[in-house]
Amino acid sequence: MSTTTPAASAAPAGSTPDPSRSSATTQPARRRRRGKVGRERINWPVTVLLLVGALAVLVPLFVTVNMSLKTTEQAVDGNAFGLPDPLTFSSFVEAWNLTNFPRGFAISIFITTIAVIGEIVISALAAYAIVRNWDHRLFRWSFFYLLAAMFIPFPVVALPQIQLTGMLGLDNPLGVAILHIAFALAFNTLLFTAFLRTIPLELEESMRMDGAGTWQVFWKLILPLLGPMCATVGIFAFIASWNDFMMPSLIISDPTLQTIPVLQNMFQTQFSNSYNVAFASYLMAMAPAIIVYLFAQRWVMSGLTQGAIK
Amino acid sequence: MSSSNGPRGPLTRRTLLAGAGGALSAAALAACGSASGSSQLTLYQSKPEAIPYFGQLAADFSASQERFSVQHDIATNLSASFVRNSPPDLGCLNYNLEMGRFMERGALSDLSDLPEAAMIREDVADLADWYPTYEGRTSVLPYSVTAASVIYNRRLFEEHGLEVPTTWEELLTVCETLQAADVIPIYGTFLDPWTIAQGLFDYTVGGMVDVRSFYQQMDEIGEDVGPDSEVSFQSTLLEPVQRMMELVPYFNSDAPSRAYGDGNTAMAQERAAMYFQGPWAFGEIEKAGSDLDLGTFPLPMTDDPADLKVRVNIDLSLWIPEAANEQEGARELLQYLMRPEVQDPYNAEFLAFGTTKDAPAVTDDRIAEMQQYYDEGRFYMGASQFIPNSIPAQNYIQSIAGGADAEQTLARLDADWARLAFRE
Repeated sequence: MSTTTPAASAAPAGSTPDPSRSSATTQPARRRRRGKVGRERINWPVTVLLLVGALAVLVPLFVTVNMSLKTTEQAVDGNAFGLPDPLTFSSFVEAWNLTNFPRGFAISIFITTIAVIGEIVISALAAYAIVRNWDHRLFRWSFFYLLAAMFIPFPVVALPQIQLTGMLGLDNPLGVAILHIAFALAFNTLLFTAFLRTIPLELEESMRMDGAGTWQVFWKLILPLLGPMCATVGIFAFIASWNDFMMPSLIISDPTLQTIPVLQNMFQTQFSNSYNVAFASYLMAMAPAIIVYLFAQRWVMSGLTQGAIK
Repeated sequence: MSSSNGPRGPLTRRTLLAGAGGALSAAALAACGSASGSSQLTLYQSKPEAIPYFGQLAADFSASQERFSVQHDIATNLSASFVRNSPPDLGCLNYNLEMGRFMERGALSDLSDLPEAAMIREDVADLADWYPTYEGRTSVLPYSVTAASVIYNRRLFEEHGLEVPTTWEELLTVCETLQAADVIPIYGTFLDPWTIAQGLFDYTVGGMVDVRSFYQQMDEIGEDVGPDSEVSFQSTLLEPVQRMMELVPYFNSDAPSRAYGDGNTAMAQERAAMYFQGPWAFGEIEKAGSDLDLGTFPLPMTDDPADLKVRVNIDLSLWIPEAANEQEGARELLQYLMRPEVQDPYNAEFLAFGTTKDAPAVTDDRIAEMQQYYDEGRFYMGASQFIPNSIPAQNYIQSIAGGADAEQTLARLDADWARLAFRE
């Protein structure tokens, strides 16, 4: 509601100094046009759009929570919106046991942590090296080489990757995390290089005058300055690695080291529906993403627009 | 992040590389350690409703002897494990065209020397040979067979004075009577394409056409399949599909917008008299309502009751990959699973039929009516099961049920078949 703020701020400003009193006569007219605080004209089309948007998120979320609290018998009665009666938490217990939740959860966190930190650090390092050595042909071409990888999606090279990781003994969560870092390298480096070009070289030169080496410049100056872009990359890395299904399902060979999304796959089959257990499990898997979002909302918002501008 | 690593200069780079190398080799060593150290045995089984059951069996087997401990695998991607050359030691899952590919390429070891292979009924063991085979090998031992036919509500049939139909005419009369009494004769869930293919399509085709010889000929003709070939979808299957369309008016009018789950709920609430589903639906129907009196009968497609047959599929089969690390243990586990006291309770609990010569008859009232057909070998495997996944056959069948021209759609199926045969 940005249209109302000038009118609201104009009112106290107008009351203090003398010359503005002359304009006081025009203020009621202006106020009528722009509306009073708390009585602004509502922008109905936008409100409706936002409401629809909010419902599109809230309704499925409501059904998820609702279903997860139902008994199996009630979950299949065809009324997704009917309130749970009796209320039961047994689905959570069942989902917890069926997927061996704590272990799967720990594996997912392990992969996500390595992927997020690795993607930020390695891409930032690569981007820094490339931008500061743009004159060297080797670095320039390595940038194009990295960018070319953007056009190779994982499914295309899935089979050779399975064989390679198998040979190297990386058919485990660590291998998945490394592959996440490798496959995101192209896009992340692109983001970082674009952002790095806007950081003036003089800053760095002054630091070098004081005797800082390349590593110190990077860790103490460049990486902190890259903060907003790190948030962007980190968010993308978190979402991509936390929700990923295909890569862990193909790469990880030991079933006891599988991630949550893959383990949850057993709830979706052709022949059976166990909505209550499935939704309870989905809720538990969604929890960290929601909690992270609640705390990191500010950075998520700024991070997303960062990415949009490039 | 920034301060701790800072001041050490070039040393850090070396440490970093050394650390990375160390981590890599540690990971590699760890992987080796877990693979070679113990006599661990992987049992791959992924039928979700049977996971706890097999988990228990795996634990029992591990406890019964000391040489092998069984790891129950439900999450690994099977194709990936074959690519990686680390397949499970023993597979226990549904056998279909996709699994048949592994068989065809000789990835599964020969089990014909096991005494258990001889225990299996010949016509049941033969079911695995409907799919591509590998010369001279018996690699797939059917563990349980599910038989599917028309599920019907006995109470509703009795209420309207109806008998189980044994001919096509009787079937139509039953439908007419029910419809006249404002009962939905057959419940359809056309939103899920597989339910049409599995039920309506497979039952009608299987009731009129010899599925096995049809596909044998189709495979032989291959890229020449078309309107003029000896057999083809558009000529051989046209009649059953037309009959299938005659049944569609007896389905619930909202069938196109109903999914599998809705169908189970509707049957549990006694909203319809018949339902074209397999025994897997019973468990789901039970979730939504008990105290039902349900039974099964094969869909009559001709005027001769002797033509009645039920649709079967290999619900679970046992196989051991050539590349399995622990062949010996896998064979031992296989023999354990094939013991009558282990195999028979599984089949009883999951409403499946036993595969061995001396398997007991099923006792569950809901599927007991299919026993005689199974015993007499009067069964077929679903026609929709033999069309490779790269042809969207289920969607074609769905569009026919939705009103598309049957002849044209079947002709397109022929064209797809020929194109695929040409490519391979």
